[in-house]
Amino acid sequence: MSLLRAWLTLVWLSFRRLLWSASTLMIVFPLAAGGLFLLKRRYGAMEDVEAAFAMYSNFLILVFASILIPICALAYGTASVGGDREDRTLLFLLVRPIPRWLILLAKFTATLPLTVGLTAASFFIYCRLAGEPGELAYQLYLPTVLFITLAYVSLFHLFAVSLRHATIVALIYAIFMEVLLGNLPGIIKRVAVNYYGRSLMYSYGAREGLPRPEFFEPLSASAATWALGGIACAAILLAMLIFERREYRDLT
Amino acid sequence: MLLSFDRVTKFYGPVIGINDISCRIGPGITGLLGANGAGKSTLMKLASGQLRPSSGSVRIGQHAAWSSAAKRLFGYSPDINSFYEELTGREFVYAMTRLYGYPRREARERTERALDEVGMSPRAERRLAGCSHGMRQRIKLAQALVHDPPVLLLDEPLSGIDPGGRKVINDLLARLADAGKTILVSSHILVEIEQLADTVLMIARGRILASGTLGQIRELLEDQPLTIEIVAEPARRLAALLAERPEVRSIEIRDEALIVRTAAPKRFFVELGELVVREGLEVQRLQTLDAGADAVFGYLEGGVR
Repeated sequence: MSLLRAWLTLVWLSFRRLLWSASTLMIVFPLAAGGLFLLKRRYGAMEDVEAAFAMYSNFLILVFASILIPICALAYGTASVGGDREDRTLLFLLVRPIPRWLILLAKFTATLPLTVGLTAASFFIYCRLAGEPGELAYQLYLPTVLFITLAYVSLFHLFAVSLRHATIVALIYAIFMEVLLGNLPGIIKRVAVNYYGRSLMYSYGAREGLPRPEFFEPLSASAATWALGGIACAAILLAMLIFERREYRDLT
Repeated sequence: MLLSFDRVTKFYGPVIGINDISCRIGPGITGLLGANGAGKSTLMKLASGQLRPSSGSVRIGQHAAWSSAAKRLFGYSPDINSFYEELTGREFVYAMTRLYGYPRREARERTERALDEVGMSPRAERRLAGCSHGMRQRIKLAQALVHDPPVLLLDEPLSGIDPGGRKVINDLLARLADAGKTILVSSHILVEIEQLADTVLMIARGRILASGTLGQIRELLEDQPLTIEIVAEPARRLAALLAERPEVRSIEIRDEALIVRTAAPKRFFVELGELVVREGLEVQRLQTLDAGADAVFGYLEGGVR
Protein backbone atom coordinates (compact mmCIF):
# COMPACT_ATOMS: atom_id res chain seq x y z
CA MET A 1 0.00 0.00 0.00
CA SER A 2 1.39 3.35 -0.97
CA LEU A 3 0.33 6.77 0.24
CA LEU A 4 1.52 8.40 -2.98
CA ARG A 5 -0.60 6.00 -5.04
CA ALA A 6 -3.62 6.71 -2.85
CA TRP A 7 -3.02 10.44 -3.17
CA LEU A 8 -2.69 10.30 -6.94
CA THR A 9 -5.91 8.28 -7.11
CA LEU A 10 -7.65 11.01 -5.15
CA VAL A 11 -6.24 13.69 -7.46
CA TRP A 12 -7.53 11.79 -10.50
CA LEU A 13 -10.91 11.07 -8.93
CA SER A 14 -11.35 14.72 -7.96
CA PHE A 15 -10.18 15.96 -11.36
CA ARG A 16 -12.65 13.66 -13.13
CA ARG A 17 -15.53 14.79 -10.95
CA LEU A 18 -14.69 18.47 -11.43
CA LEU A 19 -14.26 18.15 -15.17
CA TRP A 20 -17.76 16.74 -15.60
CA SER A 21 -19.34 19.02 -13.03
CA ALA A 22 -21.69 21.95 -13.45
CA SER A 23 -18.68 24.21 -12.81
CA THR A 24 -17.34 23.48 -16.29
CA LEU A 25 -20.62 24.48 -17.89
CA MET A 26 -20.88 27.53 -15.67
CA ILE A 27 -17.61 29.04 -16.80
CA VAL A 28 -17.78 28.18 -20.49
CA PHE A 29 -20.40 30.86 -21.09
CA PRO A 30 -18.59 33.91 -19.65
CA LEU A 31 -15.35 32.81 -21.33
CA ALA A 32 -17.17 32.43 -24.66
CA ALA A 33 -18.77 35.84 -24.16
CA GLY A 34 -15.29 37.33 -23.74
CA GLY A 35 -14.25 35.70 -27.03
CA LEU A 36 -17.30 37.08 -28.83
CA PHE A 37 -16.55 40.54 -27.50
CA LEU A 38 -13.02 40.34 -28.92
CA LEU A 39 -14.33 39.11 -32.27
CA LYS A 40 -16.57 42.15 -32.41
CA ARG A 41 -13.91 44.67 -31.36
CA ARG A 42 -11.29 43.41 -33.89
CA TYR A 43 -8.25 44.93 -32.16
CA GLY A 44 -6.03 43.28 -34.76
CA ALA A 45 -7.61 45.33 -37.53
CA MET A 46 -6.85 48.69 -35.92
CA GLU A 47 -4.19 50.73 -37.64
CA ASP A 48 -2.77 52.28 -34.48
CA VAL A 49 -1.17 49.21 -32.92
CA GLU A 50 -0.13 51.06 -29.77
CA ALA A 51 -3.67 52.26 -29.12
CA ALA A 52 -5.01 48.79 -29.94
CA PHE A 53 -2.54 47.25 -27.46
CA ALA A 54 -3.64 49.71 -24.76
CA MET A 55 -7.31 48.95 -25.37
CA TYR A 56 -6.74 45.22 -25.43
CA SER A 57 -4.63 45.42 -22.27
CA ASN A 58 -7.44 47.27 -20.54
CA PHE A 59 -9.84 44.51 -21.57
CA LEU A 60 -7.45 41.95 -20.10
CA ILE A 61 -6.93 43.90 -16.89
CA LEU A 62 -10.51 45.00 -16.25
CA VAL A 63 -12.45 42.03 -17.61
CA PHE A 64 -10.25 38.98 -17.97
CA ALA A 65 -8.06 39.31 -14.86
CA SER A 66 -10.64 41.04 -12.67
CA ILE A 67 -13.78 39.06 -13.53
CA LEU A 68 -13.21 35.99 -15.71
CA ILE A 69 -10.22 34.53 -13.86
CA PRO A 70 -11.89 34.94 -10.44
CA ILE A 71 -15.07 33.28 -11.75
CA CYS A 72 -13.06 30.41 -13.21
CA ALA A 73 -11.06 29.96 -10.00
CA LEU A 74 -14.19 30.27 -7.92
CA ALA A 75 -16.12 27.69 -9.92
CA TYR A 76 -13.50 24.99 -9.42
CA GLY A 77 -11.82 26.24 -6.25
CA THR A 78 -14.94 26.11 -4.11
CA ALA A 79 -16.43 23.08 -5.89
CA SER A 80 -13.42 20.84 -5.28
CA VAL A 81 -14.25 20.54 -1.58
CA GLY A 82 -17.74 22.04 -1.71
CA GLY A 83 -18.99 19.44 -4.21
CA ASP A 84 -18.05 16.57 -1.93
CA ARG A 85 -19.45 18.48 0.99
CA GLU A 86 -22.81 19.09 -0.69
CA ASP A 87 -23.03 15.52 -2.01
CA ARG A 88 -22.01 14.26 1.45
CA THR A 89 -19.32 12.12 -0.19
CA LEU A 90 -16.50 13.79 1.71
CA LEU A 91 -17.01 11.18 4.40
CA PHE A 92 -15.80 8.41 2.09
CA LEU A 93 -12.50 10.28 1.72
CA LEU A 94 -12.07 11.19 5.37
CA VAL A 95 -12.21 7.56 6.54
CA ARG A 96 -9.36 6.54 4.21
CA PRO A 97 -5.80 6.46 5.55
CA ILE A 98 -4.77 9.67 3.81
CA PRO A 99 -3.86 12.56 6.13
CA ARG A 100 -6.48 15.25 5.88
CA TRP A 101 -4.08 17.95 4.79
CA LEU A 102 -3.05 15.69 1.91
CA ILE A 103 -6.71 15.24 0.96
CA LEU A 104 -7.01 19.01 0.66
CA LEU A 105 -3.75 19.20 -1.27
CA ALA A 106 -5.07 16.53 -3.66
CA LYS A 107 -8.24 18.55 -4.18
CA PHE A 108 -6.17 21.66 -4.84
CA THR A 109 -3.89 19.80 -7.24
CA ALA A 110 -6.90 18.42 -9.11
CA THR A 111 -8.24 21.91 -9.72
CA LEU A 112 -4.97 23.27 -11.09
CA PRO A 113 -5.04 21.61 -14.54
CA LEU A 114 -8.61 22.83 -14.95
CA THR A 115 -8.23 26.39 -13.72
CA VAL A 116 -4.73 27.07 -14.96
CA GLY A 117 -5.37 25.16 -18.18
CA LEU A 118 -8.65 26.89 -18.82
CA THR A 119 -7.42 30.41 -18.09
CA ALA A 120 -4.18 29.85 -20.05
CA ALA A 121 -6.09 28.36 -22.98
CA SER A 122 -8.70 31.10 -23.05
CA PHE A 123 -5.95 33.71 -22.71
CA PHE A 124 -4.18 32.15 -25.68
CA ILE A 125 -7.38 32.15 -27.75
CA TYR A 126 -8.21 35.75 -26.78
CA CYS A 127 -4.72 36.87 -27.79
CA ARG A 128 -5.04 35.07 -31.14
CA LEU A 129 -8.39 36.76 -31.67
CA ALA A 130 -6.85 40.15 -30.85
CA GLY A 131 -4.19 39.84 -33.59
CA GLU A 132 -0.91 41.74 -33.30
CA PRO A 133 -1.63 43.48 -29.98
CA GLY A 134 -2.73 40.10 -28.68
CA GLU A 135 0.58 38.46 -29.55
CA LEU A 136 2.42 41.17 -27.67
CA ALA A 137 0.07 40.89 -24.69
CA TYR A 138 0.48 37.12 -24.60
CA GLN A 139 4.23 37.41 -24.19
CA LEU A 140 3.91 40.09 -21.54
CA TYR A 141 1.05 38.88 -19.41
CA LEU A 142 1.03 35.06 -19.47
CA PRO A 143 3.03 34.61 -16.22
CA THR A 144 0.82 37.20 -14.53
CA VAL A 145 -2.34 35.40 -15.63
CA LEU A 146 -0.99 32.17 -14.15
CA PHE A 147 -0.01 33.86 -10.89
CA ILE A 148 -3.41 35.50 -10.50
CA THR A 149 -5.17 32.20 -11.19
CA LEU A 150 -3.06 30.38 -8.61
CA ALA A 151 -3.71 33.04 -5.98
CA TYR A 152 -7.47 32.96 -6.54
CA VAL A 153 -7.67 29.15 -6.57
CA SER A 154 -5.80 28.98 -3.26
CA LEU A 155 -7.93 31.71 -1.75
CA PHE A 156 -11.17 30.01 -2.77
CA HIS A 157 -9.97 26.70 -1.33
CA LEU A 158 -9.49 28.55 1.93
CA PHE A 159 -13.06 29.83 1.62
CA ALA A 160 -14.27 26.29 0.88
CA VAL A 161 -12.82 24.73 4.02
CA SER A 162 -13.62 27.67 6.29
CA LEU A 163 -17.15 28.59 5.28
CA ARG A 164 -20.32 26.59 5.03
CA HIS A 165 -21.71 28.47 2.01
CA ALA A 166 -18.35 29.08 0.41
CA THR A 167 -19.55 29.46 -3.18
CA ILE A 168 -21.98 32.25 -2.36
CA VAL A 169 -19.53 34.03 -0.09
CA ALA A 170 -16.75 33.66 -2.67
CA LEU A 171 -19.01 35.02 -5.40
CA ILE A 172 -19.91 38.04 -3.31
CA TYR A 173 -16.25 38.46 -2.44
CA ALA A 174 -15.13 38.20 -6.09
CA ILE A 175 -17.71 40.59 -7.44
CA PHE A 176 -17.93 43.20 -4.73
CA MET A 177 -14.89 43.04 -2.52
CA GLU A 178 -12.30 42.48 -5.22
CA VAL A 179 -13.77 45.01 -7.63
CA LEU A 180 -14.69 47.60 -5.01
CA LEU A 181 -11.70 47.29 -2.72
CA GLY A 182 -9.28 46.87 -5.60
CA ASN A 183 -10.36 50.21 -7.00
CA LEU A 184 -10.46 52.22 -3.81
CA PRO A 185 -7.79 54.87 -3.36
CA GLY A 186 -5.18 54.51 -0.65
CA ILE A 187 -3.81 51.47 1.09
CA ILE A 188 -7.08 49.58 1.52
CA LYS A 189 -6.93 48.20 -2.03
CA ARG A 190 -3.97 46.10 -0.97
CA VAL A 191 -6.35 43.57 0.59
CA ALA A 192 -7.58 42.63 -2.90
CA VAL A 193 -5.77 40.01 -4.99
CA ASN A 194 -6.89 42.01 -7.99
CA TYR A 195 -4.66 44.91 -6.99
CA TYR A 196 -1.47 42.86 -7.23
CA GLY A 197 -2.51 41.36 -10.56
CA ARG A 198 -3.22 44.78 -12.01
CA SER A 199 0.05 46.13 -10.62
CA LEU A 200 1.91 43.42 -12.48
CA MET A 201 0.02 43.92 -15.71
CA TYR A 202 0.41 47.69 -15.69
CA SER A 203 4.11 47.30 -14.90
CA TYR A 204 4.68 44.92 -17.81
CA GLY A 205 2.35 46.86 -20.10
CA ALA A 206 4.18 50.11 -19.40
CA ARG A 207 7.16 48.67 -21.26
CA GLU A 208 5.03 48.74 -24.41
CA GLY A 209 3.56 52.16 -23.70
CA LEU A 210 0.47 51.14 -21.75
CA PRO A 211 -0.62 54.25 -19.83
CA ARG A 212 -1.36 53.79 -16.15
CA PRO A 213 -4.61 55.25 -14.77
CA GLU A 214 -3.93 58.36 -12.76
CA PHE A 215 -5.54 57.17 -9.56
CA PHE A 216 -3.84 53.79 -9.60
CA GLU A 217 -0.57 53.46 -7.76
CA PRO A 218 0.86 50.05 -8.60
CA LEU A 219 3.38 48.08 -6.62
CA SER A 220 6.63 47.23 -8.34
CA ALA A 221 6.52 44.11 -10.49
CA SER A 222 8.72 42.12 -8.11
CA ALA A 223 6.72 43.16 -5.02
CA ALA A 224 3.44 42.29 -6.75
CA THR A 225 4.83 38.90 -7.83
CA TRP A 226 5.91 38.12 -4.28
CA ALA A 227 2.55 39.26 -2.97
CA LEU A 228 0.61 37.00 -5.37
CA GLY A 229 2.91 34.06 -4.66
CA GLY A 230 2.62 34.73 -0.94
CA ILE A 231 -1.18 34.87 -1.07
CA ALA A 232 -1.26 31.60 -3.03
CA CYS A 233 1.05 29.79 -0.59
CA ALA A 234 -0.42 31.26 2.60
CA ALA A 235 -4.01 30.59 1.57
CA ILE A 236 -3.47 26.95 0.63
CA LEU A 237 -1.30 26.25 3.70
CA LEU A 238 -3.93 27.80 5.94
CA ALA A 239 -6.65 25.81 4.15
CA MET A 240 -4.69 22.58 4.73
CA LEU A 241 -4.21 23.44 8.40
CA ILE A 242 -7.92 24.18 8.89
CA PHE A 243 -8.95 21.04 7.00
CA GLU A 244 -6.58 18.93 9.10
CA ARG A 245 -8.12 20.16 12.32
CA ARG A 246 -11.80 20.36 11.51
CA GLU A 247 -14.22 17.61 12.36
CA TYR A 248 -16.42 16.14 9.66
CA ARG A 249 -19.57 17.72 11.11
CA ASP A 250 -17.96 21.16 10.67
CA LEU A 251 -17.30 20.39 7.04
CA THR A 252 -20.84 19.38 6.17
CA MET B 1 -8.15 -6.05 17.62
CA LEU B 2 -9.72 -3.97 20.32
CA LEU B 3 -11.86 -0.87 19.89
CA SER B 4 -11.76 1.01 23.15
CA PHE B 5 -13.49 4.04 24.57
CA ASP B 6 -11.90 5.44 27.68
CA ARG B 7 -13.99 7.99 29.57
CA VAL B 8 -15.15 9.55 26.35
CA THR B 9 -17.30 12.64 26.40
CA LYS B 10 -18.37 14.55 23.33
CA PHE B 11 -19.97 17.96 23.38
CA TYR B 12 -21.71 19.64 20.45
CA GLY B 13 -21.41 23.19 21.67
CA PRO B 14 -23.38 23.22 24.91
CA VAL B 15 -25.16 19.94 24.11
CA ILE B 16 -23.67 16.69 25.32
CA GLY B 17 -23.69 13.90 22.75
CA ILE B 18 -21.78 11.21 24.63
CA ASN B 19 -21.35 11.30 28.37
CA ASP B 20 -18.32 9.68 30.00
CA ILE B 21 -18.45 6.38 28.14
CA SER B 22 -15.89 3.65 28.78
CA CYS B 23 -16.04 0.29 27.07
CA ARG B 24 -13.92 -2.24 25.24
CA ILE B 25 -15.19 -3.97 22.16
CA GLY B 26 -13.37 -7.10 21.12
CA PRO B 27 -13.70 -9.75 18.41
CA GLY B 28 -17.21 -10.87 17.50
CA ILE B 29 -20.32 -8.92 16.65
CA THR B 30 -21.34 -6.22 19.07
CA GLY B 31 -24.69 -4.56 18.54
CA LEU B 32 -25.01 -0.90 19.38
CA LEU B 33 -28.60 -0.37 20.24
CA GLY B 34 -30.43 2.83 20.94
CA ALA B 35 -33.30 4.99 19.84
CA ASN B 36 -32.76 7.82 17.38
CA GLY B 37 -30.78 10.56 19.10
CA ALA B 38 -29.46 8.19 21.77
CA GLY B 39 -25.83 8.77 20.76
CA LYS B 40 -25.20 5.76 18.50
CA SER B 41 -24.10 7.84 15.54
CA THR B 42 -21.85 9.99 17.72
CA LEU B 43 -20.23 6.83 19.06
CA MET B 44 -19.78 5.52 15.51
CA LYS B 45 -18.35 8.84 14.33
CA LEU B 46 -15.91 8.88 17.23
CA ALA B 47 -14.86 5.31 16.44
CA SER B 48 -14.38 6.13 12.77
CA GLY B 49 -12.39 9.28 13.47
CA GLN B 50 -14.89 11.72 12.06
CA LEU B 51 -15.17 13.38 15.44
CA ARG B 52 -12.61 13.96 18.14
CA PRO B 53 -13.68 13.37 21.73
CA SER B 54 -14.04 16.47 23.88
CA SER B 55 -12.38 14.44 26.62
CA GLY B 56 -11.15 10.89 26.97
CA SER B 57 -9.76 8.74 24.19
CA VAL B 58 -11.02 6.44 21.47
CA ARG B 59 -8.48 3.91 20.24
CA ILE B 60 -8.36 1.22 17.64
CA GLY B 61 -5.59 -1.10 18.70
CA GLN B 62 -2.80 1.24 19.72
CA HIS B 63 -3.86 4.14 17.53
CA ALA B 64 -6.14 7.08 18.29
CA ALA B 65 -9.22 6.67 16.08
CA TRP B 66 -8.70 10.18 14.70
CA SER B 67 -5.26 9.33 13.29
CA SER B 68 -4.56 8.24 9.71
CA ALA B 69 -2.87 5.08 11.02
CA ALA B 70 -6.12 3.93 12.64
CA LYS B 71 -7.95 4.27 9.34
CA ARG B 72 -6.11 1.32 7.89
CA LEU B 73 -7.48 -0.78 10.74
CA PHE B 74 -11.18 -0.25 10.25
CA GLY B 75 -13.76 -0.36 7.51
CA TYR B 76 -16.70 1.96 7.86
CA SER B 77 -20.14 1.73 6.33
CA PRO B 78 -21.91 5.02 7.06
CA ASP B 79 -25.64 5.52 7.49
CA ILE B 80 -25.75 8.20 4.80
CA ASN B 81 -27.15 7.33 1.41
CA SER B 82 -24.79 9.50 -0.63
CA PHE B 83 -22.37 8.29 -3.26
CA TYR B 84 -20.49 9.33 -6.33
CA GLU B 85 -23.72 8.81 -8.22
CA GLU B 86 -22.11 9.04 -11.63
CA LEU B 87 -19.98 5.94 -10.98
CA THR B 88 -21.07 2.33 -11.24
CA GLY B 89 -21.01 0.24 -8.10
CA ARG B 90 -17.86 -1.49 -9.31
CA GLU B 91 -16.11 1.79 -10.17
CA PHE B 92 -16.99 3.23 -6.79
CA VAL B 93 -15.67 0.27 -4.80
CA TYR B 94 -12.56 0.18 -7.01
CA ALA B 95 -11.92 3.90 -6.44
CA MET B 96 -12.33 3.48 -2.68
CA THR B 97 -9.92 0.51 -2.79
CA ARG B 98 -7.34 2.54 -4.69
CA LEU B 99 -7.56 5.17 -1.94
CA TYR B 100 -5.89 2.62 0.33
CA GLY B 101 -2.91 2.75 -2.01
CA TYR B 102 -3.24 -0.67 -3.62
CA PRO B 103 -1.84 -1.13 -7.12
CA ARG B 104 -4.37 -1.53 -9.93
CA ARG B 105 -4.38 -5.29 -10.19
CA GLU B 106 -4.65 -5.89 -6.47
CA ALA B 107 -7.33 -3.21 -6.17
CA ARG B 108 -9.32 -4.97 -8.91
CA GLU B 109 -9.02 -8.32 -7.17
CA ARG B 110 -10.05 -6.86 -3.83
CA THR B 111 -12.97 -5.03 -5.43
CA GLU B 112 -14.27 -8.23 -7.01
CA ARG B 113 -13.84 -10.17 -3.78
CA ALA B 114 -15.72 -7.57 -1.75
CA LEU B 115 -18.53 -7.29 -4.32
CA ASP B 116 -18.82 -11.05 -4.37
CA GLU B 117 -18.98 -11.23 -0.59
CA VAL B 118 -21.94 -8.85 -0.43
CA GLY B 119 -23.65 -10.54 -3.38
CA MET B 120 -23.30 -7.57 -5.73
CA SER B 121 -20.93 -8.92 -8.37
CA PRO B 122 -23.52 -9.49 -11.11
CA ARG B 123 -25.19 -6.11 -10.57
CA ALA B 124 -22.16 -3.89 -9.93
CA GLU B 125 -22.10 -2.47 -13.45
CA ARG B 126 -25.21 -0.45 -12.73
CA ARG B 127 -24.72 3.25 -12.05
CA LEU B 128 -25.15 4.08 -8.38
CA ALA B 129 -27.79 6.68 -9.24
CA GLY B 130 -29.97 3.84 -10.52
CA CYS B 131 -29.36 1.38 -7.68
CA SER B 132 -32.01 0.48 -5.13
CA HIS B 133 -31.52 1.32 -1.47
CA GLY B 134 -30.65 -2.28 -0.68
CA MET B 135 -28.04 -2.42 -3.45
CA ARG B 136 -26.49 0.81 -2.22
CA GLN B 137 -26.31 -0.62 1.30
CA ARG B 138 -24.41 -3.60 -0.05
CA ILE B 139 -22.04 -1.37 -2.02
CA LYS B 140 -21.35 0.61 1.14
CA LEU B 141 -20.57 -2.60 2.93
CA ALA B 142 -18.30 -3.75 0.09
CA GLN B 143 -16.22 -0.57 0.23
CA ALA B 144 -15.76 -1.14 3.97
CA LEU B 145 -14.45 -4.67 3.40
CA VAL B 146 -11.97 -4.08 0.57
CA HIS B 147 -8.85 -3.76 2.71
CA ASP B 148 -9.76 -6.69 4.96
CA PRO B 149 -9.74 -4.59 8.14
CA PRO B 150 -9.65 -6.17 11.60
CA VAL B 151 -12.40 -3.79 12.78
CA LEU B 152 -15.69 -3.12 11.01
CA LEU B 153 -17.93 -0.21 11.96
CA LEU B 154 -21.34 -0.59 10.38
CA ASP B 155 -23.90 2.15 10.91
CA GLU B 156 -27.40 0.77 10.30
CA PRO B 157 -26.15 -1.69 7.66
CA LEU B 158 -29.42 -3.59 7.33
CA SER B 159 -31.72 -0.64 6.84
CA GLY B 160 -33.64 -0.96 3.59
CA ILE B 161 -32.34 -4.43 2.77
CA ASP B 162 -34.82 -7.13 1.78
CA PRO B 163 -35.00 -10.38 3.81
CA GLY B 164 -32.85 -12.28 1.30
CA GLY B 165 -30.21 -9.58 1.42
CA ARG B 166 -30.32 -9.56 5.21
CA LYS B 167 -29.54 -13.23 5.29
CA VAL B 168 -26.57 -12.74 2.95
CA ILE B 169 -25.21 -9.93 5.10
CA ASN B 170 -25.94 -11.65 8.42
CA ASP B 171 -24.14 -14.77 7.18
CA LEU B 172 -21.22 -12.68 5.94
CA LEU B 173 -20.89 -10.84 9.25
CA ALA B 174 -21.09 -14.13 11.16
CA ARG B 175 -18.27 -15.52 8.99
CA LEU B 176 -16.17 -12.42 9.55
CA ALA B 177 -16.80 -12.61 13.30
CA ASP B 178 -15.75 -16.26 13.29
CA ALA B 179 -12.56 -15.18 11.56
CA GLY B 180 -11.79 -12.95 14.55
CA LYS B 181 -12.95 -9.57 13.29
CA THR B 182 -14.27 -6.98 15.68
CA ILE B 183 -17.61 -5.81 14.33
CA LEU B 184 -19.69 -3.00 15.77
CA VAL B 185 -23.17 -2.78 14.25
CA SER B 186 -25.54 0.01 15.15
CA SER B 187 -29.27 -0.22 14.84
CA HIS B 188 -32.40 1.10 16.45
CA ILE B 189 -34.26 -2.09 15.56
CA LEU B 190 -33.87 -4.66 18.29
CA VAL B 191 -34.83 -7.67 16.22
CA GLU B 192 -31.97 -6.96 13.83
CA ILE B 193 -29.48 -6.86 16.66
CA GLU B 194 -30.95 -9.89 18.42
CA GLN B 195 -30.42 -11.96 15.29
CA LEU B 196 -26.98 -10.64 14.57
CA ALA B 197 -25.01 -9.72 17.64
CA ASP B 198 -23.25 -11.77 20.27
CA THR B 199 -23.05 -8.85 22.62
CA VAL B 200 -25.19 -5.76 22.93
CA LEU B 201 -24.33 -2.26 24.04
CA MET B 202 -27.46 -0.37 24.93
CA ILE B 203 -27.20 3.36 24.75
CA ALA B 204 -29.56 6.17 25.63
CA ARG B 205 -29.03 9.88 26.16
CA GLY B 206 -25.34 9.54 25.54
CA ARG B 207 -24.70 6.89 28.17
CA ILE B 208 -24.23 3.15 27.99
CA LEU B 209 -27.08 1.66 29.95
CA ALA B 210 -26.10 -1.99 29.79
CA SER B 211 -23.80 -4.35 27.99
CA GLY B 212 -23.68 -8.11 27.58
CA THR B 213 -25.90 -10.63 25.83
CA LEU B 214 -29.61 -9.85 25.85
CA GLY B 215 -30.08 -12.81 28.21
CA GLN B 216 -27.50 -11.47 30.64
CA ILE B 217 -29.06 -8.06 30.53
CA ARG B 218 -32.47 -9.55 31.20
CA GLU B 219 -31.11 -11.44 34.20
CA LEU B 220 -29.69 -8.26 35.59
CA LEU B 221 -33.12 -6.81 35.34
CA GLU B 222 -35.15 -9.49 37.04
CA ASP B 223 -36.57 -7.02 39.50
CA GLN B 224 -37.58 -4.63 36.79
CA PRO B 225 -41.31 -4.29 36.06
CA LEU B 226 -42.82 -6.94 33.86
CA THR B 227 -46.20 -7.31 32.15
CA ILE B 228 -47.75 -10.77 32.22
CA GLU B 229 -50.82 -12.16 30.51
CA ILE B 230 -52.71 -14.82 32.47
CA VAL B 231 -55.71 -16.77 31.24
CA ALA B 232 -57.21 -18.59 34.22
CA GLU B 233 -60.53 -19.85 35.60
CA PRO B 234 -62.10 -18.14 37.39
CA ALA B 235 -60.37 -14.97 36.15
CA ARG B 236 -62.14 -12.53 38.44
CA ARG B 237 -61.29 -14.55 41.55
CA LEU B 238 -57.62 -14.60 40.51
CA ALA B 239 -57.73 -10.85 39.83
CA ALA B 240 -59.08 -10.18 43.29
CA LEU B 241 -56.39 -12.32 44.91
CA LEU B 242 -53.60 -10.75 42.88
CA ALA B 243 -54.82 -7.25 43.69
CA GLU B 244 -53.91 -7.89 47.33
CA ARG B 245 -50.30 -8.69 46.49
CA PRO B 246 -47.94 -5.78 47.15
CA GLU B 247 -45.72 -6.63 44.16
CA VAL B 248 -48.65 -6.25 41.73
CA ARG B 249 -48.83 -2.75 40.33
CA SER B 250 -51.93 -3.02 38.18
CA ILE B 251 -54.41 -5.52 36.78
CA GLU B 252 -56.39 -5.09 33.62
CA ILE B 253 -59.03 -7.51 32.37
CA ARG B 254 -58.78 -7.81 28.60
CA ASP B 255 -61.25 -10.28 27.00
CA GLU B 256 -60.62 -13.53 28.87
CA ALA B 257 -57.16 -12.59 30.04
CA LEU B 258 -55.69 -10.72 32.95
CA ILE B 259 -52.91 -8.32 32.11
CA VAL B 260 -50.85 -8.02 35.26
CA ARG B 261 -48.02 -5.57 35.73
CA THR B 262 -45.63 -6.43 38.52
CA ALA B 263 -42.74 -4.57 40.02
CA ALA B 264 -40.95 -7.72 41.24
CA PRO B 265 -41.34 -10.52 38.70
CA LYS B 266 -39.27 -13.11 40.55
CA ARG B 267 -41.35 -12.89 43.76
CA PHE B 268 -44.54 -12.63 41.73
CA PHE B 269 -44.00 -15.94 39.94
CA VAL B 270 -43.22 -17.75 43.23
CA GLU B 271 -46.35 -16.38 44.90
CA LEU B 272 -48.52 -16.96 41.83
CA GLY B 273 -47.56 -20.64 41.87
CA GLU B 274 -48.46 -20.95 45.57
CA LEU B 275 -51.73 -19.08 45.04
CA VAL B 276 -52.84 -21.26 42.16
CA VAL B 277 -52.21 -24.46 44.13
CA ARG B 278 -53.80 -23.15 47.34
CA GLU B 279 -56.94 -21.79 45.69
CA GLY B 280 -57.31 -24.59 43.11
CA LEU B 281 -57.29 -22.22 40.14
CA GLU B 282 -56.86 -23.44 36.60
CA VAL B 283 -54.25 -21.53 34.65
CA GLN B 284 -54.68 -22.04 30.90
CA ARG B 285 -52.09 -19.60 29.67
CA LEU B 286 -49.26 -17.65 31.27
CA GLN B 287 -46.94 -15.50 29.22
CA THR B 288 -44.85 -12.40 29.61
CA LEU B 289 -45.76 -9.70 27.16
CA ASP B 290 -42.55 -7.74 27.25
CA ALA B 291 -39.70 -10.09 27.95
CA GLY B 292 -38.13 -9.49 24.53
CA ALA B 293 -35.44 -7.06 23.70
CA ASP B 294 -37.94 -4.27 23.12
CA ALA B 295 -39.07 -4.52 26.70
CA VAL B 296 -35.54 -4.76 28.04
CA PHE B 297 -34.67 -1.64 26.17
CA GLY B 298 -37.86 0.05 27.31
CA TYR B 299 -37.04 -0.66 30.94
CA LEU B 300 -33.50 0.53 30.51
CA GLU B 301 -34.56 3.71 28.84
CA GLY B 302 -37.21 4.27 31.48
CA GLY B 303 -34.55 4.05 34.12
CA VAL B 304 -32.79 7.15 32.92
CA ARG B 305 -35.86 9.25 32.21
